Amino acid sequence: MGAALTVDSTLRCDVLIIGAGGAGLRATAQIAERRPGTRIMALTKVFSPQKSHTTTAQGGMAAVDPKDPMDRPIFHTFDTWKGSDCSADQNVIKKVCDIGWEEVVWLERHGMHFSRTEEGRIAKRPFGGHMLDFGERMAFRACYEADRTGKGIMDTVWAESLKYGVDFIGQCVATELLFRDGQCTGAIIFRYPEGKFLAILAKATIIATGGNTRMYLVSSNCRGNTGDGLVLALQAGLPVMDLEAVQFHPTGMVGPGILASEALRGEGAILRNKDEEPFMERYAPTAKDLAPRDLISRAIIQEIREGRGLFHEDHNAHHVWLDLRHLPTEVHEKKIQEVCSFFKRFVGVDPEKDLCPVAPTAHYQMGGIPTNEFGEVQSDSQGIVPGLFACGEVAAASLHGLNRLGTNSLLELITMGRVTGERVVEYLKDATDPEEPPGSRPIVFDQFSTYLNAQGKEQYAQVRDSLRNLMMQKVGIFRTEKSLVEAIEALAELRERATHIPLGTTSLSANQDLWQIWELNNLITVSMVIAQGALARKESRGAHFREDYPERSDAFNYHTVVYMPQFNEVTFGKRPIDMSIFEARGEHYELFDYIEREY
Amino acid sequence: MSTSYTITLDINRYDPDTKLSWVQTYRVEASAILRFVDVLRKINDEQDPTLAWSSSCEHAQCGSCGVIVNGKPLLACELLVKDAVGQFKTHTFKLKPLTIAPVLRDLVVDLEKAYDRVHKVRPWLIKPASPHPDGDEYRISPKTLETYSEATRCINCFCCATACISTHHHFLGPNASMANMVRLMDPREMARKERMDILYREDGVYRCHTAKACSFVCPKDIDVSHFLALGKEGRF
Repeated sequence: MGAALTVDSTLRCDVLIIGAGGAGLRATAQIAERRPGTRIMALTKVFSPQKSHTTTAQGGMAAVDPKDPMDRPIFHTFDTWKGSDCSADQNVIKKVCDIGWEEVVWLERHGMHFSRTEEGRIAKRPFGGHMLDFGERMAFRACYEADRTGKGIMDTVWAESLKYGVDFIGQCVATELLFRDGQCTGAIIFRYPEGKFLAILAKATIIATGGNTRMYLVSSNCRGNTGDGLVLALQAGLPVMDLEAVQFHPTGMVGPGILASEALRGEGAILRNKDEEPFMERYAPTAKDLAPRDLISRAIIQEIREGRGLFHEDHNAHHVWLDLRHLPTEVHEKKIQEVCSFFKRFVGVDPEKDLCPVAPTAHYQMGGIPTNEFGEVQSDSQGIVPGLFACGEVAAASLHGLNRLGTNSLLELITMGRVTGERVVEYLKDATDPEEPPGSRPIVFDQFSTYLNAQGKEQYAQVRDSLRNLMMQKVGIFRTEKSLVEAIEALAELRERATHIPLGTTSLSANQDLWQIWELNNLITVSMVIAQGALARKESRGAHFREDYPERSDAFNYHTVVYMPQFNEVTFGKRPIDMSIFEARGEHYELFDYIEREY
Repeated sequence: MSTSYTITLDINRYDPDTKLSWVQTYRVEASAILRFVDVLRKINDEQDPTLAWSSSCEHAQCGSCGVIVNGKPLLACELLVKDAVGQFKTHTFKLKPLTIAPVLRDLVVDLEKAYDRVHKVRPWLIKPASPHPDGDEYRISPKTLETYSEATRCINCFCCATACISTHHHFLGPNASMANMVRLMDPREMARKERMDILYREDGVYRCHTAKACSFVCPKDIDVSHFLALGKEGRF
């Protein structure tokens, strides 16, 4: 059996960034620019921040250019409110939509390679749910870098952080947060190559670990998106919010579910069923193929259920078609070059000549660790946790409510990253270096001991696949009370099974098996919160659809808050939806009521 | 169901605890449409959970799964079994870790260390041009952008650096050199002298022998050697 588990050493810094993706490093750049000399440590699970999941985002970043003769921030604000199915927070939507363009300009001036118009300005394309004049016709609002906008953003914030000499620690995870007198003082981390634990003490800690949809059989997320940040909060007794809202992107490539950007439809691609009918015209007569993602994903499943889908023999999966054949060669080669190459390489079809097989893929977590509009983590509906911040996909401020519009996630990463960084700069003014952490034994030692000493006949792959099938079938796009109750029971069983998986090796260094079992436990934990939240929300709103309660209900006009300090010991709370635009009674305020959602 | 192949993988293994290296052979029944990352996962699932390899996005956008297959550095996520059989005309594949950084275990290479060379070229804008008088973005014509946008697609998978015939001990490598070229061609970069110093430093672009191995292996089909040639010619 491996050596006794110990914390190898303690490091100190001013700010600890857990997760060096788009949001974490935008916050980092803001802190470094505004407060030179701040000692910042940024953790990443991958080899380099450049390899973060942000880099796979394709389509664009929404922002209203003040020089645009037709578009206005209030249209974007309204679209986001309507797109969320009236469940996002209006103070946050307004803030983000108002500063979006500043952030586009910030990125451009720091070296991002946006695509350009003939006049040399940043080019823009339409995206789902983004419209002019309060839903009348489509808006050109998504600023983009071909179909690799996320990479452009990632490269920029990564390079800026390098410029300021930020200390990156790669190939590591934060396994638990440290607290002293209710204040967050850093985290325990585990480094993969040497298998060592370190304590990092910090005046301020930002959780920015990103998404977590790897518990679904079909997912566009990278291998490491396993909900680690949410588990950090849960095991510290902190709440998470709206986890039942899981976005399925309508167009994942059949099979593994690699993302085929909404930008394809923004450029004119059309969804078709087996009769090649452009079926979205029936579901969303105005927005058609650019309706919000939740509507389109349900429409695709509806087509498949009613026998108008197709079946892919090789991948053993149902799908519909995405038709790009009519788009000009110039568009294929320049504007959607990456996605076209993915279709050729992974699916073996040429989008210029062939129909492309697509099906919904688990894509994005709308909910997350609840924060206020400054990125400060909330302990309950009243208080915040001193020294602890969160931004990006892992956080819920909440810009998206229960459904997110395409291109609003990159916008959120960058704007909320900046806002959170700004708040940290304020916080550091009065912050002092934390004392040594309390001497108590880290929780992770017990977890690792369990995994390293596990006996039994269970196999990692079987538990993982059971989880992914279970979540896809019972907690997926369509849900019922029966499916959710069954899922909760099954998850409790999976959690137990996961403690009986003997490891192939008990070495701590570069032990892939140990690492994956830790991730699997995180996925099971987060899945339980998703299922419990979905069971409690007896209505359909945004991406959360209950077949037994197919309508939205005013009784659920709130955010679901869940505490789960121990597995499946769940306490629910509620956070009101911020209606400040409606309550201010300004121009067009009536559109910010709980309005009907038609496209 | 799709066709499947019985393939043999001879994989270089390394155990950091005992410092032992060996080659281990696995026979796998693999569906034609599986990617090599799926094949490695299948080995973990069905035969040997200890075989270590790395990946992240698994669709050729992050560059974490570089590996040498029958002598060619490539991304394991991009290679489908049927294409491998077609391309290499064999059912036996030798898998080795990239040679660009120390091996951590089996096929996992410490790319964190390899990245040091990208950091050396300072990929940010060292001295940005003055903002546009209107206060918004700098103007760049699509024509200008097109001269270097291909180079911005690089994901630093280090396949080119592994294939490069110039030793990486004396050369920053194709990908890092190309990252410097991006900023030399970027009209917003005013730090021309610093950029040229990086280009022509001791381990700079003149270590390139123009063998074009980088362009040949690039998983993103970037003509890397074209950008290095522009650097040598001083055309930027």
